[in-house]
Amino acid sequence: MNLENKHNTLPTIAVEGLTGCAGELLVILENLDKLLPFVRVVSFPFAQSSNQGGPVDITFVEGSVSQKHDLEKLERIRAASRWLVAVGNCAVWGCVQKGGCTNCSAAEKMLQVYGKDANFDVLEAAPLEKHVHVDVRLSGCPINATQFLSVTASLLQDHLPYITSKPVCLECKLKENPCVLIEDNLPCLGPVTAAGCGALCPSVGAACYGCWGPCQSPQMEAMAQVLTEKGFALEEVISRLGSFGAPAELFKRWKPFNENGAAVKGV
Amino acid sequence: MTQEKETRRIVIPEVTRVEGHSAVTVDIKDGEVVDVKLDVFEGTRFFERIVVGHKADEMAHLTSRICAICSTGHVLASIRALEAAVQYKPSVRLNLFRELMHLGMIIESHATHLCALVLPDFLGTKDLLTFADKFKDEFALWTSLRSLGCAIQTMVGGRPFHPVNLHVFKLSHYPSRESLESLLPDLKSGAELALKLAHTFLNLKLPNIPSLEPNYLCLEQDGVYGYFGDHIRSSEGFRRPISEYKEYLSEYAVTYSHAKKSRSNGKPYMVGAIARLHFYHELLGSTARSIYMASDLARGSCNSMLNNLAQAIELVQAIERVQTIIALLSELSHEPEVEAPEPRLVGSGVGAVECPRGTLYHSYEVDEQGVITAADMITPSAQNTERIERDIRNTVSHRLAENGAGKDENLECDLETLIRSYDPCNTCATHAVRLRYV
Ligand code: SF4
Ligand code: SF4
Repeated sequence: MNLENKHNTLPTIAVEGLTGCAGELLVILENLDKLLPFVRVVSFPFAQSSNQGGPVDITFVEGSVSQKHDLEKLERIRAASRWLVAVGNCAVWGCVQKGGCTNCSAAEKMLQVYGKDANFDVLEAAPLEKHVHVDVRLSGCPINATQFLSVTASLLQDHLPYITSKPVCLECKLKENPCVLIEDNLPCLGPVTAAGCGALCPSVGAACYGCWGPCQSPQMEAMAQVLTEKGFALEEVISRLGSFGAPAELFKRWKPFNENGAAVKGV
Repeated sequence: MTQEKETRRIVIPEVTRVEGHSAVTVDIKDGEVVDVKLDVFEGTRFFERIVVGHKADEMAHLTSRICAICSTGHVLASIRALEAAVQYKPSVRLNLFRELMHLGMIIESHATHLCALVLPDFLGTKDLLTFADKFKDEFALWTSLRSLGCAIQTMVGGRPFHPVNLHVFKLSHYPSRESLESLLPDLKSGAELALKLAHTFLNLKLPNIPSLEPNYLCLEQDGVYGYFGDHIRSSEGFRRPISEYKEYLSEYAVTYSHAKKSRSNGKPYMVGAIARLHFYHELLGSTARSIYMASDLARGSCNSMLNNLAQAIELVQAIERVQTIIALLSELSHEPEVEAPEPRLVGSGVGAVECPRGTLYHSYEVDEQGVITAADMITPSAQNTERIERDIRNTVSHRLAENGAGKDENLECDLETLIRSYDPCNTCATHAVRLRYV
């Protein structure tokens, strides 16, 4: 069979970016040679010039929704895709643009960074799920290539993939690392962060800073208590815990926060 | 035959095969270019504001998220800025590891830009399958070279980008001599591949782009073709400490805004590989230098598309330098690392590095508690934007004069090729004030 014909019967994928750092696009680009025998890439503007709209089997979307343009694009993508996969922390949790400064609005940030004449269509940075239905959420900052390939393999078989959301500590213990939280008093967020990276930071003797986003049922209060007991100021603990987009709901029952999950000053 | 005077608008709604999102509009009236806009519509993320209120030691991992492909550059610029604030001088060994990490980024970024993003233009392919299938050699060249860059960054930084091992004052973990030396076989084959790639670019026939007067800026180097420095050099003749960046950069910005309506008198400048080679080609090793000498760069051409070749030359040089660094570090590995006492992070400082795309500045103010109170980041792509617009304007004017109305089918394609040769990185660029035109 000639290449063209075989190619036209393959399942289709698209890779799109909203507001992010292009990390996931890069990971996907770098692993594309492994996928090319099995799929047809109908759209990947970061990597190719001929891109088509229209129906597609799997669309991978990187980045958060941070402007009107992102939202319109996301709605078009959702309508055209059978499976929509949010890839990377930005798409799954909103990353640092959502969590880096929870006490200031997009309008205030625009004023401070671009001055009073700036007038862009900014939205409060949010993960995809806030706006559309997402079929699969694959976090990471950047995503793990093996996880990406296995998610794709599952979807090509019409299975929803299984993605672990156990804490980083689990991977850390499996590697038999000394615990930097207990032994070095570093502010390691491994206990509340989703695994998938292979406990990279503690494996080089550094503290996990939470880049994969929260694990399943994270014990934020216990984590904060341990860190404050080690001498970290509560404000600092709160800011570290939220930096990579942990949603406000996770803080709701906790005293230093009000019922909307916003930090209450001076507690 | 009198030619019809043309009035039309060229629109490239999304420039593909670049990082981030941007669009180009060129307005032509009566055969003259009246307006050029490079609109970067990548969403903004307000990093200068986001980092305020965080501890200084968080800067490396927060700012790396500005951009994946130059995350190492952001990490190192932030570290250099904070160390400058307390006048900290890193050890020779630490500096070598940082340089090694940086070169890993240069190799990965240049290889990806040149092979995966630029070459398809010249090979005439528009989709990935055709590229991977019909141009197996070029595709393999890319996968091998970027894997080499990734391997270096993974060894020093813990992963290919968004490194976890680089911090203010230190590395968490110093890679062993054995692991460093395990890179040598791939470096050896990588050197050959890079040379092959450089020859490919040396022999490319470039589309017709009229030359602009050069106006280059680059960090001052001392003895080695490198990427870190504390002073800027300009082809306009000045040399200034980077701590004064606001003065020498805003001078240009003022020129632009005054000259908004008569841009031909303005002076956009260019940063990146072509600027670095302009100043420091004499520091290249013999292999890289021989390619430089054989090229139009050595003959003073400032066709911006030569930036691709300049990157290819840097790739050759980087692989050679990595081997030298590994040898130096292997010698030093006999001595135990004596970690100097870490000063308390406070005060204000500016740090800069030469990223793949040009000079990147970070600047911070830190209070007594070690908390960031103000931050500023100036990225290379933001600095190049005015110059890209100017190149587009000149190219379109020139081609209109040459070909007349409506006969130039390749023009839009060539404009994209031109923009791509700057390797613009719009995820980075969205941190500049004055960048976006509404
Ligand atoms: S070092 Fe961090 S990730 Fe590892 S066990 Fe301790 S707390 Fe958990
Ligand atoms: S250990 Fe934590 S911060 Fe480090 S890579 Fe893993 S999830 Fe990210």
